[in-house]
Amino acid sequence: MSAFTLYGQTFNSRFLLGTALYSSPQAMVDSVKAAQCNIVTLGLRRQNPQEKDGQAIWSAIRDTGCTLLPNTAGCKSAKEAVNLAEMSREIFNTSWIKLEVIGDDYNLQPCPFGLVEAAEELIKRGFQVLPYCTDDLAVCQRLLDVGCQVLMPWGAPIGTGQGLLNRYNLRTLRERLPTTPLIIDAGLGAPSQACEAMEMGFDGVLLNTAVAKAQQPPIMAKAFASAIAAGRAAYESGLMVKRQTASPSTPTIGQPFWHQK
Amino acid sequence: MPIPSSIAIAGAGLVGSLLAWRLLEDAQQSGLKRRVELFEKSSLKYPRAAAHTAAAMISPLSEVVVSERAIYDMGICSLGLWPQWLSTLNKHSATPVAYNNQGSLVVAHPSDESELEQFAQDLHFHLQHENTATWLTGHELRQREPDLSQQFNRGLLLPDEAFLDNRQLMINLHQRIVALGGKIHENAEMQFQPQAVCDGFDLSRFALCVDARGVGAAQSQAVRGVRGEVLWVQTPEIKLQHAVRLMHPRYKLYIVPKPNNSFIVGATEIESQDSSPVSVQSMMELCSALYTLNPAFAEARIIELDANLRPSYLNNMPAIHHQPQQGTASINGLYRHGYLLAPHLIAQFIDSLKSA
Repeated sequence: MSAFTLYGQTFNSRFLLGTALYSSPQAMVDSVKAAQCNIVTLGLRRQNPQEKDGQAIWSAIRDTGCTLLPNTAGCKSAKEAVNLAEMSREIFNTSWIKLEVIGDDYNLQPCPFGLVEAAEELIKRGFQVLPYCTDDLAVCQRLLDVGCQVLMPWGAPIGTGQGLLNRYNLRTLRERLPTTPLIIDAGLGAPSQACEAMEMGFDGVLLNTAVAKAQQPPIMAKAFASAIAAGRAAYESGLMVKRQTASPSTPTIGQPFWHQK
Repeated sequence: MPIPSSIAIAGAGLVGSLLAWRLLEDAQQSGLKRRVELFEKSSLKYPRAAAHTAAAMISPLSEVVVSERAIYDMGICSLGLWPQWLSTLNKHSATPVAYNNQGSLVVAHPSDESELEQFAQDLHFHLQHENTATWLTGHELRQREPDLSQQFNRGLLLPDEAFLDNRQLMINLHQRIVALGGKIHENAEMQFQPQAVCDGFDLSRFALCVDARGVGAAQSQAVRGVRGEVLWVQTPEIKLQHAVRLMHPRYKLYIVPKPNNSFIVGATEIESQDSSPVSVQSMMELCSALYTLNPAFAEARIIELDANLRPSYLNNMPAIHHQPQQGTASINGLYRHGYLLAPHLIAQFIDSLKSA
């Protein structure tokens, strides 16, 4: 599998894993190891970051050796997201931020307006922004206009496990933004769905719930890692185009006719 | 080898208090003289132990879904021990500790039915043929709990799961410890460096010092605190006989009936060493769970809000460490399973002392 580059950094794994919802920090660490991922996301909104009260879990995440991608999960306005990003930068000493600005409480849909506003402000402040966005082409283009170099469109709403809900939109994004790293973020529930995203030419997959809530998270992490690698390999080696007429893979010339049933 | 004749215990929370009482009770039953002293860094009038904040459920089935099989096995052992131990304790107490083992109910809002399915599937995965959970129809649910909202089409019954009145338990335990000749030193902070020390006390007089400080041991052990927030409400309008768990995609909450028409609703679980007051977000989640179970909870009165830290190791499993050469031991990491695991761990620890 080829490496991919985000904001000038090259990674061997195209699997980005979230660190929330596991039954224990140890289960999370074991899953990250099994996934062989290079990037992990982490949220700190509810951990009283002003007082740095999440040190124990942050240390466990740091010790995985992965590149940290703090997120702004739980923020509902650009202002909240910018404040949290500043805190993350101070705590984790990284200017990378997975930007989330939630526009709807029920399906946790990204708010396109708050997202663009926050992205613009964060980029001015020197952040490398990886926005969690919908699959809307116009929104994605606006995010690129304000300086994002990576986009993370959703497959489906967070935690639903629904897979790729709008293939038309996702294909459009891939075709219209051929040089932008695109990572499918959220909504994937099965390795086959991650594999499909990779076969479509997406550059990576980010997920959390499907692994963390599996009965055996490290094994599920491995399953996703294999599926992501398979999907990428398939994309890079060129998938055949579907066709209507059957075409035998073994030549029939010379085959005695009485063998046919 | 007999149990040491003098034992100091750091921390008058659930583990420390239960251990002190069992050691004294054991000595009395065996006709032995045993000195047991508890050292608590705060005042018992203003308890800060997680034991005080907890809902005190003994629910091995519910918990195996979010942990490991070993938690279930230890919990089943505790389920056997609690009635025996409480029967002994209650003989000597003016106000007995209420114990309810009618089982737990698990429900989900109709739009979150998949959460209930997932719970049932996870339970089956962990327990296979030992899974005793049974499905109840909406009608059967309301036969057991008439005050449960009409919107629940079905639910799960987890038989034999129990809960107890933990605040009364702690009072009775402390009274019984003193009655049996034990001592409780309040505002006395014991530390392990690694030898046990405590200002104003000569701990070298004790053959064994046991560290049962929970998150208080974070300096000397790899214990972290995991924040939990609970809400207490009171209403005479609603009666519940079971602990009820509400499955929800974002949070799993429980409501446990307590004495005096009160209910405890909990608990959030946040990976943070933050013990500051309950947040608005958590309060909304907890209240929303209550309202889902029965809208009449809307007029209940909020009588208490509490936030505390669950002592946890990285794998969220408990551990007993014993260093006989140093004369120290520790029991810690009970995480969210204090009442589920404490009797098993204490019985195991006392047995190990006897056979050491």
